[in-house]
Amino acid sequence: MNKRRGLQTLAAGVALGMVVTGCSSTGSSKESASTDVAKATASATAAAQSGKEVKITLLNSKGEIQAQMEEAAKTFKQDNPNITLEVLPVPAGQSPFERASALYASGNPATITMLDPADVSKFKDRILDLSGEKWVTDAVDKSLDTKTTDGKVMAFPFSVEGYGFIYSKPILDKAVGGTFDPGTIKTTNDLEGLFKKIEASGVAPLVISPMDWSLGAHYLELAYAAQSPDTAKVAAYIDQLKAGKGDLGHNAVFNGLMNTFDVMTKYNLDKVSPLTGVYERGPEVLGKGQAGIWFMGNWAWPNIKSSDTAKAQYGFLPVPVSNNPDDFGNTQITASVSKRLVLDKEHSTPEQQAAAKKFLEWMVYEKNGQDFVVNKASIIPAFKNNKLEPQDPLAKSIMDYIARGKTMESVPTLPADHWAKNGASMQKYLAKAGDRAVLVKEIEDYWKSVK
Amino acid sequence: MIAEKGRGERLRLRLLFTGPTLFAFVTVMIIPFLFGIYLTFTNWDGISTTHTFVALQNYGSVFKDAEFWKSFVLTLKYVFATVVLINIVAFLLAYVLTSGLKGQSFFRAGFFVPNLVGGIMLGFVWQFIFSNVLVYFGQKYHLPWLQASWLVTPDKAMWTMIVVTVWQYSGYMMVIYVAGLMNVPKDILEASSIDGASSLARLVKIVLPLTIPSFIVCVFLSLQRGFMVYDLNISLTKGGPFKSTEMVSMHVYQKAFLSRDYGVGQAEALILFLLVAVITLIQVYYSKKMEVEA
Repeated sequence: MNKRRGLQTLAAGVALGMVVTGCSSTGSSKESASTDVAKATASATAAAQSGKEVKITLLNSKGEIQAQMEEAAKTFKQDNPNITLEVLPVPAGQSPFERASALYASGNPATITMLDPADVSKFKDRILDLSGEKWVTDAVDKSLDTKTTDGKVMAFPFSVEGYGFIYSKPILDKAVGGTFDPGTIKTTNDLEGLFKKIEASGVAPLVISPMDWSLGAHYLELAYAAQSPDTAKVAAYIDQLKAGKGDLGHNAVFNGLMNTFDVMTKYNLDKVSPLTGVYERGPEVLGKGQAGIWFMGNWAWPNIKSSDTAKAQYGFLPVPVSNNPDDFGNTQITASVSKRLVLDKEHSTPEQQAAAKKFLEWMVYEKNGQDFVVNKASIIPAFKNNKLEPQDPLAKSIMDYIARGKTMESVPTLPADHWAKNGASMQKYLAKAGDRAVLVKEIEDYWKSVK
Repeated sequence: MIAEKGRGERLRLRLLFTGPTLFAFVTVMIIPFLFGIYLTFTNWDGISTTHTFVALQNYGSVFKDAEFWKSFVLTLKYVFATVVLINIVAFLLAYVLTSGLKGQSFFRAGFFVPNLVGGIMLGFVWQFIFSNVLVYFGQKYHLPWLQASWLVTPDKAMWTMIVVTVWQYSGYMMVIYVAGLMNVPKDILEASSIDGASSLARLVKIVLPLTIPSFIVCVFLSLQRGFMVYDLNISLTKGGPFKSTEMVSMHVYQKAFLSRDYGVGQAEALILFLLVAVITLIQVYYSKKMEVEA
């Protein structure tokens, strides 16, 4: 009995192998990838007619949209009856990298894997080159990962996220007496003036959430990103830091950013015990109108919404890094691709790869796919052709900054442990357990230890 | 019966019974362990298809990794405090709960319950207690030492770890001590009380020497658990504030999975394994010598 089953599996395996080789030989390597897709898609359709189905999997590392992803898989199935998409979640507490590498180690990776941008290049030997895909030409500026993977497009930009100071419009309107104009805040002094006005109106000016990821990955990152509008210069500065020649202590942008941080700590709602707060406290105090400003990103909208008392009137302010209104960074907020999708090439059949590519195209070009991205999952798409308006105020605000060209790119090459190690140093500074000299030394030491 | 059969027959019979377990043990413990040792000599990052042999370079990095040794020293302090406190508390609880107290079975069960709660849950529950409940009482009754969360100052955060660990494990160790105390022969105790020994003298001269085996087990278990603490560390303090409570297991994990430095992380894990093995073996060896016969 067992032997017979073994034989059957073997036979099926041989048959599958023949199909695979047959398919790959039809697509000549000189042809462009898109015709390759067309052919493979045609063969997938042929397979569907003969009753065969393609099953692909997607490892979703954006836990908050798991339900929406599963819903999208159903809609996608309706549009493409021969493709079944299964959405696998990354278990809570595991990082996407850890989960994806575990799946690869067990020889069973997902067809589509959602990764953090910094991890894509680690997978480059195992994933498909997507440079020839149609959506490459429709992607918004700076959203492709060509810089980190030798000029090739290896990953699909799935979502754009941005961060800065989230402000509650009604509170700021009351504080300034009239309608608050975010364009008036261009320097650290402007910001302090605003804080004073909010305080005078009887509300705490801002709340700082002390999580290491917020302080390390988002706040401190501004110190690198605001060095220059030219990302090559930012990368050069990071190389200097690695070589121990960054001289952070005398860097104008870093010091300006930390001066702003000093102002923030002075007006912090939690200044008595600055490290006590948890993430959930931020959206609660902002939503309930106990604080006017919160440093966070657009992913916080569902959290703010659940305690919203400002009738969804929120927006973003840039974090000023100097007292010169013309300096780069003072009028820009950070907006970058936060998740990328990669396609496996090691264990997936050409049919599966074609089906996976089809899913990517579906999200960019099909009405249902666009609807899923913007309306169901509340994601800011990285594609110009998607004209749907996001519903939530934070995404709208970011779209507005993107449209005006007032965005900075986050640094795609920060090491994976940068946020944890330097976040701890930032916490130390926030709690006044170490002064700026200590902070500078710890950050510089960190960079020197990076290989 | 087994001895009567031939060598091959004997092996077959043994494999029949131990084979399945042996297979599981080898595949999930021995092979990964050996493969892990192999990885310490490479520079693999966990995903790339190639890795190169770097000989002892990773071990060199371990000795240069100041944070590893800092967290190891921190773990030693934590282990010392928890081992002492767990065993004192557990022994006292066991001593009281074998003295014929009314409702002692109920109390025994009650003290054992914390051990049934998983480490992660426990961490979250105590995080809430330390940063909300205690702070609330501190502010209400104006107790200055409770007005700010203990989790935000490095020294106090360390003590929260110790308090929760003691709370969690003393019930478990208590059960072992209860068993040990019940095995102390009643006739000796009776004879000593007829001879006029005070209860303190009985405790020191008779009960303690006769419960040495329980102490060996409990000290061993609390040592081993103290060194391996991870779940409580990650859920209660997350190694914070600013990495001041990052125990050595957490550091090793972060090194391998967060810094993507599998080789160095593995090498640190192996060195940790050796250090813990040496410490616990020394403990067992020397405390075995203290055992006495009634």
